[in-house]
Amino acid sequence: MSLAAEAFVSQMAAAEPWPENATLYQPLKDDQILLSDHASSLAVQAYLRMCGLPVQVICRANAEYMSPSGKIPFIHVGNQVVSELGPIVQFTKAKGHTLSDSLDDVQRAEMKAYMELVYNMLLTAELYVQWCDDATAAEISRPRYSNPYSWPLGKILAYQKQWEVRRKMNAIGWGGKSLEQVYEDVSQCCQALSQRLGTQPYFFNKQATELDALVFGHLFTILTTRLTSTELAERVKSYSNLLSFCRRIEQTYFEDKGS
Amino acid sequence: MAAAMELRCWGGDWGLPSVHTDSLVVLAYAKFSGTKLTVAPVDWTWKTLTASVPELVCGESVVQEPTQILNFLRKQRLNADYELTARQGADTMAYIALLEEKLRPALLHTFWVDAENYSNLTRPWFASRSPFPLNFFLPSRLANITLARILVTKGEGLLHRISEVEGKIYSDAKECLNLLSYRLGTANYFFDNSPTSLDAFVFGFLAPLHKADLTSSPLQSHLRQLDNLTRFCDNILAAHFNADKPCPLPPAMETMDANLQKLTQLVNKESNLIEKMDDNLRSSPQHKPHRPDPKSSLSSSKSSTPA
Repeated sequence: MSLAAEAFVSQMAAAEPWPENATLYQPLKDDQILLSDHASSLAVQAYLRMCGLPVQVICRANAEYMSPSGKIPFIHVGNQVVSELGPIVQFTKAKGHTLSDSLDDVQRAEMKAYMELVYNMLLTAELYVQWCDDATAAEISRPRYSNPYSWPLGKILAYQKQWEVRRKMNAIGWGGKSLEQVYEDVSQCCQALSQRLGTQPYFFNKQATELDALVFGHLFTILTTRLTSTELAERVKSYSNLLSFCRRIEQTYFEDKGS
Repeated sequence: MAAAMELRCWGGDWGLPSVHTDSLVVLAYAKFSGTKLTVAPVDWTWKTLTASVPELVCGESVVQEPTQILNFLRKQRLNADYELTARQGADTMAYIALLEEKLRPALLHTFWVDAENYSNLTRPWFASRSPFPLNFFLPSRLANITLARILVTKGEGLLHRISEVEGKIYSDAKECLNLLSYRLGTANYFFDNSPTSLDAFVFGFLAPLHKADLTSSPLQSHLRQLDNLTRFCDNILAAHFNADKPCPLPPAMETMDANLQKLTQLVNKESNLIEKMDDNLRSSPQHKPHRPDPKSSLSSSKSSTPA
């Protein structure tokens, strides 16, 4: 969005409180959604739960096309539609709910840097494993992506998406990487996150921030999604403090609903 | 550590050992870790077309890309990060990711896509350093690759127009510079008192922006306002690269009246913002001249201060 439009939207956002009927849209959970999209969606859900904002998750087959930026997930609040974690964080901030207020400037810089690390390494690795690895693409990604559509539309859309992602990978220099190198990068990223987390309950002090939501979203999804090989999940499992971090967040924010 | 190491990179100008970001990163790291490198600039050779720069040749192994080269040097026990704690190592990775995602697109745009800078500075520089007949098509080829890269990574879906993406990448870059400035504070280097790979990366990204003679660059003026970052670049140049090249320009700039400088920068920022708003209002059909317009001008002038 342009700068003037953004400023206008945040002014409008500040005017109303968070409604009861806010909804979050994502692709169909059982058949369609892919690893990277599910990770982003879970991150946003975790963030909203941490802020204590109620949101209803709705699954639609065309969620990707409804989204204003083409990325999942997006939320529909009042009469506004916002997609992706970054803009959603700003949007909730305009409404007065924020998790990173108590951080000073240096800590906020660190938080943003670590969030970029997750986007740069984990998300890119997820996209690579899904679309650039032929086995996974043929067995899992393409069938799932084309699930709601009939032949030949599904096939065309799936190949188009694959071509788009591969183009992006080439542009950032990941096109020439082998799967082994990508797993190695994921290990390094997890090592960095693990060292930063240490023995603390959350990344910054005792309070959850958007970084915790983002890391939880990605790691939990990697651990619980079945792919052609379990290598990715194994790499994450080797860091025990990250495992307990995921479990803790799941118990604190996601399990009270059932009981 | 036995074989001699040779680095192929772009040559230097404007007081810097190299004008290319990635090459600068490797050169700076080499100085910090005490590596003996022979620098082989690819200027005026046909390698400008074929080689991927920077490239390290050590005996028989050839390594490309700054991160791979730094890993290679670390394996050879030429390690500038030896004294960092595990957590500081993790911070290094995070900050490098921040630079790559937020700052690199805007830097590439400033040098290669922005029409004025490209035609006045980048194109003549690269054309003059390439042999005939490469000088005719090499700069435009690099510019096309850069534009494609920016659009593919930052363009959203079908909006493959650079003007839509510009505003976002510049505001991301300015935020990134602010974050670096907060992190650096008043220290000389990012971690303790000795330079590390993070310092090499930040230097590689910031130095060309700081020293180049750009005609129109809001990003450069933003950087110039952040004194601790400009001081950081000058320190590294003076301390590690001093013997090779003197830096004549900066002292002259400092004598300008500080207040006048701040005032001109503020005026430039405001006029840029107004120009941008004007373009946006003209190009976006939904914001037709109705009530909302005067409100949006108020709110965006308010939002200029946190930026």
